[in-house]
This record gives sequence, structure tokens and C-alpha cells, in this order.
Amino acid sequence: MSENRHIKKQILRQTVAENVAIREGHRPPRPAPVAKQPPKRRLLPWLALAPLPVLALLLLWWLLPSRQPSPPSSVPVAAPAVETTSGPVDESTATSFPAPAPIDARALPLEVRRVVVDPGHGGHDSGTVTVGGPELLEKDLALDIGLRLRDRLVEAEFDVIMTRGVDRFISLRERAAIANTSRADLFISIHLNWIVTREVRGVETYYLGPTDDPRLVALARRENQDSGYSLADMRSLLDGIYADVRQDESRQLAQRVQRSLLRAMLRHDPDLDDRGVKTAPFVVLTATEMPAILAEVSCLSNREEAERLTRPQYRDSIADALFRGIQSYADAVNSIEEKGS
Amino acid sequence: MADKNNVLYVGIDLGTSRSAVSTANNQRHVIESYVGWPTDMVARKVLKKEVVIGKEAVDNRTMVDLHRPLERGLIKEGSEKDLTAVREILRHLLHLSGADGDREVRAVVGVPARAMQINKQQLRNTLIGEVDGLMIVSEPFAVAYGLEALMHSLIIDSGAGTTDFCIMLGRMPTEDDQRTLTNAGDSIDANLFSLLAERHPQAQITEFMVRQWKEEHGFVGNEQKPVRVTVPMRGRPQEIDITAELKSASESIVDPIVETMRDLLPHVEPEFQEKVRNNVILSGGTSQLPGLRKKIQDGLEELGGGKVQTVKDPIFAGSDGCLAIALDAADEDWDRLSSQDT
Repeated sequence: MSENRHIKKQILRQTVAENVAIREGHRPPRPAPVAKQPPKRRLLPWLALAPLPVLALLLLWWLLPSRQPSPPSSVPVAAPAVETTSGPVDESTATSFPAPAPIDARALPLEVRRVVVDPGHGGHDSGTVTVGGPELLEKDLALDIGLRLRDRLVEAEFDVIMTRGVDRFISLRERAAIANTSRADLFISIHLNWIVTREVRGVETYYLGPTDDPRLVALARRENQDSGYSLADMRSLLDGIYADVRQDESRQLAQRVQRSLLRAMLRHDPDLDDRGVKTAPFVVLTATEMPAILAEVSCLSNREEAERLTRPQYRDSIADALFRGIQSYADAVNSIEEKGS
Repeated sequence: MADKNNVLYVGIDLGTSRSAVSTANNQRHVIESYVGWPTDMVARKVLKKEVVIGKEAVDNRTMVDLHRPLERGLIKEGSEKDLTAVREILRHLLHLSGADGDREVRAVVGVPARAMQINKQQLRNTLIGEVDGLMIVSEPFAVAYGLEALMHSLIIDSGAGTTDFCIMLGRMPTEDDQRTLTNAGDSIDANLFSLLAERHPQAQITEFMVRQWKEEHGFVGNEQKPVRVTVPMRGRPQEIDITAELKSASESIVDPIVETMRDLLPHVEPEFQEKVRNNVILSGGTSQLPGLRKKIQDGLEELGGGKVQTVKDPIFAGSDGCLAIALDAADEDWDRLSSQDT
């Protein structure tokens, strides 16, 4: 009986401590998988960009093709929207709802300090898995590369927040909430690709936008599973996201990361495909409020690539390439601020 | 220090479908988590109220702008109306509890096990000005606390929005000890709705109808007597048999619950696993589904067998647990948890 009383007392003390932390806006003092809680710093004012319902309507139109079933093979398919800088414009919509002119990023006091690293999948959601050869799970590799990237970023004095630091399931909704509530400056989601044609291997980097490519629609559908969002959330998702400057910054970040990844990976495999910078409607990119990209850093469907991924040095070089891409983007952004100030 | 006689202690289970409150002065109330605002002047005249809560809101849904502000046990995001609706529900529960403004109110509110920090802060902000002291706790933990099942137990709290799991090992549960699934009462309703819509495309069915059918006739396991209900088909009432659909929808939550339980148990220290397996406690509104307890218990066979018990009072197990926490917390703890100035 007295043991039970003692346990209750102890648990109650922890409960109170946790609530005091919530009250004061701190993270509760219990083990949490979100690593490296950073100190408070000045943040990018992305949240100051007011939601633009008008653009949300335009985006809804953009995203609609991705909600349709894949077209039959006899239907001609548009090429992937590689290096897209702006979406297709529906004349009638454009007449009724003219999109505001893009905001020049130089008009804003930009600075990259806080980066959210998001290792894809986790827990019961394994992501893609190798077939034949070493059995590798996308969730494990994404986490390993994410942690390596975290270490590099921390070393370079970025604030880093991991959406997950252990093998656990976390919905896309929660990932976006972590990024948004921590008011991060950049969001980097790490994934590994699966391509039906097994010989193909390459790297590709995505930022938010439309696509008519059925392969990308299928990929987005796969990555958007267990999002934690319902159809009812669509409006708030759409309301919250769009500002040209965010898309433009995401594209620039994606370009730098893709370039860096490609340069590094070609050293290991001169035949690697440059699958380019593309747009696709990944939920995790839709719901985040800062420049955000999703990097497919390797192909688990390719046996040689899977073999390479078993080597820590190879995973290290991927993390290093991601870091260099981010650093290059941050340098460019910070130099704009310095020039402007 | 507060005069204990002048303090009202309340435990609140803020549920997606129903919310319950238990108070230290032996009051217990449960309401449907709905809020409605009269849509126009006529509705306001008929209802004679600016806002209606719970069953009254549901019953008068044709006259009100009806809100169910909680989703998966938490405030939906983004809408000021949802925040206001949650405040109205909590205000109503406090009013039912006898909070009269003269007494200090200290409340413990249960939320899903894996609620994010932001959700808890949102809830705290919503309650500023409504209570004097506030603690937010994990719902299954509150159940465990109320039942004094703090050592070697697994609580499965299945409500409308979520099914929460919490392993109790005599310490504060960590994130690894807890899981939240969205396979719960609402997902059964959604399943039943789509199965019936597929089989009877002409049938005019609403979410309220399927929920009522589930609550009255839902079952897991062996078929019982046929379930027949009357629905309008293009306006004409017609009796249909929903037994198969009801069984299928009700059973849709079994596998995810069993899988999650099997996933959690191996993480317990090996010497305590058997104890925990033999002390699985099922609570929450959805735990009342006939046959569910047995199916979950059968699911333990693969791990060597165990025992699943259902709590005596699933509707109030959460709020009673919250109340127990509220009463056990010391005055100095409550002083640190004032909700007036965050």
C-alpha cells in the first residue's frame, strides 16, 4: 500500500513538472525523440506572410490532377514538371482571381538559422524496402542519414530540430506541426526512392507544386500515406501555404541540394542519373510554412545502390552532400541580408 | 494557500464524441461534444438561447450551426470557432459541476496519449479565465491513476476519436510507453457509413444514424441476431439488414489494436511482461462493444496469453482518474499551475 502511495507521489510530481513546462511554454521534462532543442533566436518572418485564399484556389486547381486516378496508358502523359518555376495558369481562373505579383525575397530580412531535418517514415511505416540483396528499410536509412546531417549542421552552428530521432511513427501532420511551431527557417525531408525500372538509379529533389506525371502522382500518394490529415483539412492546408516567395525559395534550395547531391554521388557512380529538381504535391511540403524540400537521396530499388547504402561512408557522403546544399543556400540568403543591411 | 473547502476539484475527459466531468462534490455528468449556434433570428427565438450544447445542439441541428470542435480528442486546427466551441463545452461542464464563480476551480483534463505539446498549449490557452488551476494529462494515464493500476498494467482507452495505449510500470509513462491510434469509434462509424452507402446507394443515411446503430447494436465476433433498421430510400422508409456491415465495421478496429498491443508489450522488461499481459485494462466508450474485450484477449495468445478486463464505468473512468489526480496534487503544486497568467 505504501509502495503504491510512493509511486503515486512520484508520478504526480512528474505530472506537475510536465504541466509547469507546458504552462511556461517549454518542452516537458521527459524523454522526447525531438532532439537538440535549440535556443531561441531571431526567425524568418514567414509566418508574417498572410495566407492568400485567392492563391489557395489556384493551388487547389493545381493539386486536383494529383487527386485523380492515374490515366490509362493510352492517354498521352505530360512530362514531369522539371525545374518548374510557376504552375500552369488557367486563363479563366486567372481572369477572375489574378495572382499577386511574386514577392522579391530581397525585400525580406532573411536569415537561415533553424533547420528541421525530417527523416521520412518510421515505426510501423517502413517506407520502401529492398528486394533481394541486403534487406534495407527506407525508414532506417532516412534516420541514419538524417542524424548524420544533424551532426554536420550543429557543427556549423545551425539550430537543428529533428522530427524524429528514433524509429517511431510520426504522422505527416505532426512533422509539419513540429516545423511550424518551432518556427524553423528550412525544412528538409529525407527519403529514398523506389523506381519500377530496377536498373535506374539517381537522385531527385522536390519542392511543392503541381504535377501531371503519373509516376510522381503515385510517389506522392505513397509518401502522403498516414498523413494524419482528412479531406476536411484541405481548406486549412490550402489557406495556409501559398506565397510565391516561399515557392521560389524552396526551388532555390532544391536546386542547390540537388546539385550538391549529384556532384557527390557521381564520385561513387559515374552512371548515376540526374533526375532533376521537380515539383510534386507532397503533403509534408504543403503543410509546412517555410521553404521546404523533399530529397529522394538514393534508390532502394537498385541493387548496386542498395549495396552501397550498407556502407556508413556512403551514407555519410549523402549527409555531407545534403549539408553542403543547405549551407550553400544559407550562405546565399545570408549574403543578401548582409548586402541589404 | 487556498482554503480546500472553497475549492472545486474537477476531472474532465474531453472526448471527441462525448465529454465527461467528475467532481469532488460527487457530481458526474456526460455530454455530447457538440456546440450549436442558432443560424438565424427564427432559430434564436425558438431555442431562446445564443448557444446550445451537447444533446440539445444535436437534437436541434437543423436550426443551428453545429460544431464538433474536437478531432481525435483534440481541438481542430485553425478555426477560432472551434476554439470557442471547446470553451463553451468546458464552460458547460463546469457549470454542470457547480462552478459558480465564487469558488476556486482546479481542473485536470485528460487528452490522448500522444497529444503534441502544441495541442496541450492550445487547450491551456482556451481555458484561461475559465479555471484557476489546470493540469493536462494523458487520458490512459488518468485511467490508470484512478484505478490505482500504476504498476505492471497496460491501459487501452478506446474512445470516439482515438484508441490510446499506455503501459504503466510504476513511473511516469514515456513516449515509448504510449501509442495513439485513430482506429476508434469514429473510424467504425466511417466504415459503416461507406459500407452501407455502397450496398444501399439509395439509402439516406447520416453520421448520426450510423453512430446510433453502432452504439445500440455494434458487435465483434460471433454473429448475434440480425440487426435490421429502417432508413428512408428516396423518402420512403424501408427496413434493411445491416448485420454484416455492422460486424465488419466494428471489427475493423480489432487488428490495429491487437497489433499495437503486440508491438508495445515486447518493450516491457522481460521479467514483467507476463504481469502486464495479465493486467490489460480496457476503457473508454468504444470498449463497450460486445465481443471486443475477448478478441483483444485472444490477440494475446500469440505472446503467451493474458487477461483483458473492462473497467466497470467506461464513460467516467477517465474523468474519475483526472479527479483523483486533482485531489492528490498538493496546494503548492496547484499554485505553480495557475491558469490565470501564462
